[in-house]
Amino acid sequence: MSVAARARFTWGTAAAIPLLFLAIVPLQKAIDSYPSRMSAPEALWLRSGAFLKAISMGYDSLLADIYWTRAVQYYGAQFETGGAQFPELYPLMSIALTLDPRLTVVPRTGSILLSEPAPVGAGRPDQAVQLLGQAIAANHDDWQLYASLGFVYYWYMKDYTHASQVYLEGSQYAGAPVWMKGMAARIAELGGSRDTSVMVWSEIYQTTSEPRARENAREHLMALRAQADIEALQKIVDNYRGPIMRITSLQDLVEDRLLPSVPVDPAGVAYVIDGWGRVGLDPASPVRLDILEPTKHDAAAP
Amino acid sequence: MAGTVAINTFREAVRDRVLYNLVLFALAMMAAAVLVGQVTIGIERQVILNLGLTAISLIGTAMAVFIGVRLVYKEIEKRTLYTLLAKPVRRWEFLVGKFAGLVLTLAVNTALMTLGLAAALFYVTRGFGRADVSIAVAVYFILLGLALITALALFFSCFPTPILSTLLTLGLFVAGQFSSALREYGKLAHTRALAVILGAIYYLLPNFHNFNAITAAAHGDVIPGALILHNTLYAVLYIAVVLLGASAIFANVNLK
Repeated sequence: MSVAARARFTWGTAAAIPLLFLAIVPLQKAIDSYPSRMSAPEALWLRSGAFLKAISMGYDSLLADIYWTRAVQYYGAQFETGGAQFPELYPLMSIALTLDPRLTVVPRTGSILLSEPAPVGAGRPDQAVQLLGQAIAANHDDWQLYASLGFVYYWYMKDYTHASQVYLEGSQYAGAPVWMKGMAARIAELGGSRDTSVMVWSEIYQTTSEPRARENAREHLMALRAQADIEALQKIVDNYRGPIMRITSLQDLVEDRLLPSVPVDPAGVAYVIDGWGRVGLDPASPVRLDILEPTKHDAAAP
Repeated sequence: MAGTVAINTFREAVRDRVLYNLVLFALAMMAAAVLVGQVTIGIERQVILNLGLTAISLIGTAMAVFIGVRLVYKEIEKRTLYTLLAKPVRRWEFLVGKFAGLVLTLAVNTALMTLGLAAALFYVTRGFGRADVSIAVAVYFILLGLALITALALFFSCFPTPILSTLLTLGLFVAGQFSSALREYGKLAHTRALAVILGAIYYLLPNFHNFNAITAAAHGDVIPGALILHNTLYAVLYIAVVLLGASAIFANVNLK
């Protein structure tokens, strides 16, 4: 091959390769679009964190990071395509924690993902308690773990006795905020009140870094505020004795100067009244009251 | 001319007793077929298929890498390449011939191993069903993957030493197995730039995960015809890219 022919050949191939790669991209996208039946379902081959730690040759910390990342990926994948079933979530998190017991982000975030009812979480607060117990055994003076455990007992299990005890125990350790002691007393006295719920969800919202868990806390806070608004508005509507027989719109209350303006929910959408005179959320509102269903707050509680 | 080189490469592989691995495979399959009934309950078919198809894939991969990286180097070392290139054989024809020869060797090897697997499966299940068609598809996918590994090995055999070529080929093979994980990490990335970079790497790396249908075959799942077509096109295109790159490099290698 002459020098010129060789140069032509080289430049020709250099031009052809990117073009061929451009053809590969849509092909790969087409292959990716098939349901992932070709590969094995998510499974843990090694379920013993202790065994993994032994064979990690000192790289257990890195392995813990990998397992935690895998747990988050697993959660995301199951949430999107796995029918919101999370059978391997607890083992993955427990292994990560065994490999690195100081990786407290695992139990703090993981406990919410484990406890939340389907489809958001695994609906297994018992596993969350187990995970937090494992973490507390290795970090007995970490008040944040007690706060998380108290929260699981309080919100998901309605076990106010344990919740109060755990908050009180956690409040004794260095760095614990003052509210923990107050929370212990409040829960012991009032059980599941809305104000207490707002306090615990606010704490979760401020301290959680995992985006979905944070969004979950935000949604709960919005729902709690909307629930309180609706109850307050309902009282006004029920006690209304104005010039018209029945209120059909909150605008009537504004016109009667009982309200300065039509109140809006935490998402900025105006509240509405149905044909029976019941105040509620506009169907278009993104706020969801059904996520509060498991708690059934005592409306009489302050 | 590429065809002549291919047939000679195949003959050379047979002369080098490369196909002796089949004896090892046959023994493993026989042992598995006898043992599987003793140690498992209800999943004999899955076990024998997982074991057999994994062995076919692993043995084929080892052959593709270790023979592939020496294909060109050996010809240079023995100086037989000079005699060959003195004849009317273009360098790219030589490369394509070498590639085709090794793929032919792998195809024969894989076909014989598949027969051994089928015999073991027949011994365990006492018959074949319609679901067993997916085994043939899984074997075909394995062969596509092996052809791609061969192309990569040949590419790397054009310039560095065999040890480095082996490491690079194996490295790319392992990276290609985990390329899906890269894409997932990209989704978790906090910066868009990192997500874009990881996404680009995902498409640049050879995706060996595409060719893994072992689980589907073990469970008797139907593999869509369109997927077979897409995977075939993917392998053909990627092999074309790699062989073009290898040809461009080999055309400029100073053999004096």
